[in-house]
Amino acid sequence: MIDKRIPHTDLDRLLDRLGKRGAVYAPAKDEAGEAVLAAWPQSGPAVLEYRNFRLSPKALVLPQNQTLMCFKNGDVAEPALSDRETFLFGVRPCDARAMLALDKVFLGGDQHDPYYARRRAKMAVIALACARPTSSCFCTSVGGGPGDAAGADVLALTLDADLLLGAATAKGRELLASVADLLTDAPPAAVKEAEEQIQAAENQMAPVNVDNIALRLRDAYDSPLWETASQKCLGCGTCSYLCPTCHCFDITDDVRGGTVRRVRTWDCCAYPLFTLHASGHNPRPTAKERWRQRMMHKFRYAAENFDQLFCVGCGRCIRNCPVSMDLRTVLKEVGA
Amino acid sequence: MIASHEIETRLREAAEGFLREKKVDIFLGYEKASFPFRTSPLFLSAAEKARRLVWNPFCTANLAVYLPRLFKAPADARAAKVAPPPPTVGVVVKGCDTRSVIALIQERQVPRDKLVLVGVACPGMMDARKAERALGSREALGAGEDAQGNLRAVVEDGTEVTLRREDVLADACLECRSPTPSIHDVLLGSPVEAKETDAARRRTAEFESKPADVRWARLQQALAKCIRCNACRQACPMCYCKDCLLDQTRPRWVGAGTDISDVTLYHLVRAFHMAGRCTECGACARACPMGIDARLLVRKLNLEVEDLFGYRPGAAVDAAPLLSAFTMDDPQEFLTEP
Repeated sequence: MIDKRIPHTDLDRLLDRLGKRGAVYAPAKDEAGEAVLAAWPQSGPAVLEYRNFRLSPKALVLPQNQTLMCFKNGDVAEPALSDRETFLFGVRPCDARAMLALDKVFLGGDQHDPYYARRRAKMAVIALACARPTSSCFCTSVGGGPGDAAGADVLALTLDADLLLGAATAKGRELLASVADLLTDAPPAAVKEAEEQIQAAENQMAPVNVDNIALRLRDAYDSPLWETASQKCLGCGTCSYLCPTCHCFDITDDVRGGTVRRVRTWDCCAYPLFTLHASGHNPRPTAKERWRQRMMHKFRYAAENFDQLFCVGCGRCIRNCPVSMDLRTVLKEVGA
Repeated sequence: MIASHEIETRLREAAEGFLREKKVDIFLGYEKASFPFRTSPLFLSAAEKARRLVWNPFCTANLAVYLPRLFKAPADARAAKVAPPPPTVGVVVKGCDTRSVIALIQERQVPRDKLVLVGVACPGMMDARKAERALGSREALGAGEDAQGNLRAVVEDGTEVTLRREDVLADACLECRSPTPSIHDVLLGSPVEAKETDAARRRTAEFESKPADVRWARLQQALAKCIRCNACRQACPMCYCKDCLLDQTRPRWVGAGTDISDVTLYHLVRAFHMAGRCTECGACARACPMGIDARLLVRKLNLEVEDLFGYRPGAAVDAAPLLSAFTMDDPQEFLTEP
């Protein structure tokens, strides 16, 4: 699939070209020196030396807060849905794959979310393959890989002074065709080296056993392991908010003056209020029930409902948890 | 440093003893995490598992945050009839953690007589994020403290990188005025003297010296990163309200989104609720996934409390919490501003 090549130094020109068609997001370094996916153009060239961004790109299809509609004086007004194309460059394969999981929730079945659908339809993803996974990465164990193109329209890979590219979808083919004058054909030797690089990256990751995880979780519902696993959970929400597949949301009405805005915001199953009923009853009263729910949703209910695990192995939850909880440890204990 | 290792050994012996002799029902400490630069809280109930306890410069979490939930009062009289008696809890506490425990005792959230405090005189803890930033795109596979107290990390290609202690110490530790636990049932490590006792005051003064619009811009810039995950609140031992004001929906005092006015209000409200209660442990800043220094506002309020009322939270077990008491000669010039 990888068949085109562009020197690193020309990447900015490619991004500028896309910028004429719509909004572009590319990797940059923030003031603390950490990699972020930021609006292009930036003050410097696009950054290619990074592992992954702290925040996942899901905010671009599912914003942290989003006005769904407004009411005023008995009239309902919907905000205009943007018609602008959006190009994401530098998304890692795990995060690209996560978009497919979100598609299953918001586009599949009998639910079709127009707010999500519009943003998604106008979005093109250029994924950047990983050469150096971190010790918290386990994409290969959950159906993905450092060179996986699932969820991406174009797959890119850095090789020495070049960026290799290949279209993965019709949208990707169109995108590459529109910048064909900036690209040359990738020589077969480079393509082979790219494949070897991806293989080497795959070999670096320690496997996590998720064989029959949905069944194992079903059988472990009443296991005492949930009590011990959840004891240190603070219910802080970091894992869900940083997770590229977590999508639970809350809807509230924001009243200011005479206008009511119906707003959708991110929510988290680890919060005590998440399942609080209007009666006052809470079916998930402690951290134990909530943590079990988190694992069940990602590794059992998602598998049963969508035939896909809602974990792409990006490791953000593990790296950023303030008390260093590691769901890989729990997966190991389930059905052990 | 050899001292860390000695403390770890004595800590394991103490925990094992307390559990074996049933002096505690549960012992809270730290264990190895699956990652360098971190430890993870450990809830021990079996004496033979005491070997899992560790003590090192990554024991950053404030374990006092778990105490209110272990001593939660029964919901009503009917529940109280069948509720088990409160447990006796052993817990490892550094200087700042001890102040949090004392503050919780002051506010009647935990009973002193059901706690066994294993205090450790703390030379300062290292911040995982600072260490990782210093390594750039290199990933550490293992890390530890060397004899000089610096951080030595082994990165992916096998090379060793030394990071100077002062470059990786947590911000809260750089301003620490209470490194040695003031109350304890056991004290491990020789008492540590606070080094730069005016660091908090200097940093606050430095921020205050800037014109108002610069300060406002800096605050907005920091808060613009907030994703309203509530990690700062959840990590804080003093935030134990069953129904947090900031979550209430009837009425909705603060919106749930990232509108800058909602974000600012969230942090301002939290800061005011921490005034005279925050023990400067830095758990909020450490928990924040976006790297916001959540201590900025509270540090200022705490200094005002000290200056106006001579009060430091978590200093004395039998001191009345600041806002629960008054004396007739409390300063009140600020009340009569025209």
